[in-house]
Amino acid sequence: MGEISNNSSSAGIDLSQFYQVFFEEAGENLELMEQKLLELNVDAADDEEMNAIFRCAHSVKGGAATFGFSDVAALTHQMETLLDKLRRHELTPTSAMVDVLLAAGDALKAQLAVHQGSASSAPDTSELLGRIRAMAEGQAPAPVAKAAAPAPAAVVSPTLKSMPVPKAQTRAIELVVGPLEKPETADALSELFKEIEDLGTIEPLDGGRAADGMRRFRVVTTTSDSELLDLFTFHVARELIQMRSTDPGFGFFHENAGAPPEENPVDPGYGFFEPLPDASPAEAAPAPASAEDVAASTPVAAAPKAAAKAVEKSVATPDQATLRVSIEKVDQLINLVGELVITQAMLAQNSREGQLNQQLLAGLTDLERNTRDLQEAVMSIRMIPMSMVFNRFPRMLRDLAAKLDKKVELVTQGEATELDKSLVEKITDPLTHLVRNSCDHGIELPADRLARGKPEHGTITLVASHQGGSIVIEVRDDGRGLNRAKLISKARERGIDAPDSMTDQEVYSLIFAPGFSTADQVTDVSGRGVGMDVVKKNITSLGGTVEIDSAEGYGMSVKVRLPLTLAIMDGMSIGVGDECYILPLASVVESFQVAPGMIKTIGGSGRVVEVRDEFMPVIDLERVFEVPRFDFEHVSNIMVVVEAEGARVALLVDELLGQQQVVVKNLEANYRKVQDVSGATIMGDGRVALILDTGSLVRRTRH
Amino acid sequence: MHTILAVDDSPSMRQMVAFTLKNAGFNVVEAVDGQDAFEKSSQRDYNLVLTDQNMPRMDGISLTKKLRENPKFKQTPILILTTESSDQMKMAGRAAGATGWLVKPFDPAKLIEVIGKVVR
Repeated sequence: MGEISNNSSSAGIDLSQFYQVFFEEAGENLELMEQKLLELNVDAADDEEMNAIFRCAHSVKGGAATFGFSDVAALTHQMETLLDKLRRHELTPTSAMVDVLLAAGDALKAQLAVHQGSASSAPDTSELLGRIRAMAEGQAPAPVAKAAAPAPAAVVSPTLKSMPVPKAQTRAIELVVGPLEKPETADALSELFKEIEDLGTIEPLDGGRAADGMRRFRVVTTTSDSELLDLFTFHVARELIQMRSTDPGFGFFHENAGAPPEENPVDPGYGFFEPLPDASPAEAAPAPASAEDVAASTPVAAAPKAAAKAVEKSVATPDQATLRVSIEKVDQLINLVGELVITQAMLAQNSREGQLNQQLLAGLTDLERNTRDLQEAVMSIRMIPMSMVFNRFPRMLRDLAAKLDKKVELVTQGEATELDKSLVEKITDPLTHLVRNSCDHGIELPADRLARGKPEHGTITLVASHQGGSIVIEVRDDGRGLNRAKLISKARERGIDAPDSMTDQEVYSLIFAPGFSTADQVTDVSGRGVGMDVVKKNITSLGGTVEIDSAEGYGMSVKVRLPLTLAIMDGMSIGVGDECYILPLASVVESFQVAPGMIKTIGGSGRVVEVRDEFMPVIDLERVFEVPRFDFEHVSNIMVVVEAEGARVALLVDELLGQQQVVVKNLEANYRKVQDVSGATIMGDGRVALILDTGSLVRRTRH
Repeated sequence: MHTILAVDDSPSMRQMVAFTLKNAGFNVVEAVDGQDAFEKSSQRDYNLVLTDQNMPRMDGISLTKKLRENPKFKQTPILILTTESSDQMKMAGRAAGATGWLVKPFDPAKLIEVIGKVVR
């Protein structure tokens, strides 16, 4: 709808106070629209999906027009026109339309960024507007090569102000001309409408007579005000011409309840609604041919239902069910709870030692439970669903596949799986890299796939799930998989030691070696020889692991295992001498008492222990950490087997102290990086214990 | 004090409308869509229902129909806020029993002006 009247004030209300809400809402709508567009099956578009997409554009337009962001309103208006025709099956969706709508979504984001002050210039959308308009009018999309030249429909290039009223829209205006010395002069204007085809219709409202030298006409036209004015000024001076919309923008159904008494019908400002089928002069434009009018009618049957299920989540929440809080506040809360957990553990420990009042003991038990609950609740504040990461991939893959001439489908599972926000941020880049790799190197070209008897469309599957205290994210593709021989020869070319006896797992792990790239040709998408090693490094630094599995010709899977949060960890405390260390419980496999003779020395200094026919390296923690020992008679005789990076080692310790949840304190931030140590924690008795980096310990045995 | 039920799925529009109405001295109950409004309709009496048309779950015209089935809402003015004013929409609005329509975008002054005609 065009700008109806600019002469009324805003009733003293500053609309800018609603901008922020509008920006957030528009952002959510655009995200949802993009997601829906990407999911859209152009060959069998679902009505409800189409409605949901329409509603996104519609909502953004409504808000933008209300709050005065005319560029956003203009673009969404054009999108809405196209989407409306699509949802009414007046046009058939094509992937070119999806492309243009996606591009329009990007442009809208840029425009909104400018209005929010986070960007300085918005892209020129005149070409985009022209393309959408051409599509909405049923024309073939302009070929991309010609896109640089303005599309025909965009030549008009109206000002932003008049943009929301597109050229094709029929509207009714009241034309007042005068005061005129000779009222007949104005009849020349009527002649214009006879002479110029397509200009519209004009009819006198005053029966051809001027009461006060003023002539009044009703004009129904698709031509813009400025163009009309240019025409009229051939006959009448510009300053004598007034044009105003005859549509007051509201009206009442007088036979229905609550309507006000009918006012004097002379009042031209209000369109009371009498004979419905043949609209009164004060009534708005005739319905057909008007893109705007077609929009959003027949609303009852088709719209709601399933579309609601998707939209519900985005509309019902923002200001009703959620609260935006700065991340610092949450972090502070987590820190404080961490301290509370430590204090509680200390109290619990101390209470075991002395004689205690029974009530005090009961109180301590309650405190422990409440503390644990509080900790869980606070930690959950920072947990966000994996869908926040997964959502970016459909668009990325779509663009990527188009660039590579591949056909790729993305399947995501377990989007609701929650992960700590700080981890989500850090895992996004490595995952993006893995997905790009799958598309670029994994999935074959459609012809190659068909030749191998595979479906033309490759599938990349993203799965997130909780497994124990970890989250496992798998990136799987059904592409060409890894070629063992090729990997080994490539490794040797690069001077990496790669014996034929390596297990498949070990061979696959070669792709994590720095500078290792298996692509025969470097593409501009991924694979300049950097990447997988960085991916691995990033994931390892988060306390995670990466596993690769593959079957040549059938695809490949990369599993990333991450702790749910970096702030707390389930640990096993072990004693060596007078020192206490923490092992991440997730990496502990088993522990056992060593019988004499189980440990064998091989080579020069390496020691191994045999566990159920399997030999694994032994690491003597006492030596690694140079633990001072005063009891020289003592012999460590307990082994704890830990697994990391696909390998196992046995750690020789003095005693197992127990399992507990520990609050992880960063050692690097408070002290400096220490070899084989990933962090520290404060124990119940107030002592500091180091948390061992099992990955680093395992790597130690490889050299 | 008059109480208005303001229904819109767009948080920014809803806030703008609610703020404007409160500023003009009305009591406002907000609803996020037709379904929500319908559920809230039984909780108290309203002097006016102001509803958006295009909403998920239940649109404005369906809400109007359902409200008119309730004797309590027989005489309550119901205004539909819409981005279009086609005859089709008007016929549907009239048939549903709506009191009138107001075309979006509107500014706060216009809203108060129109409400002033039906709520006194």
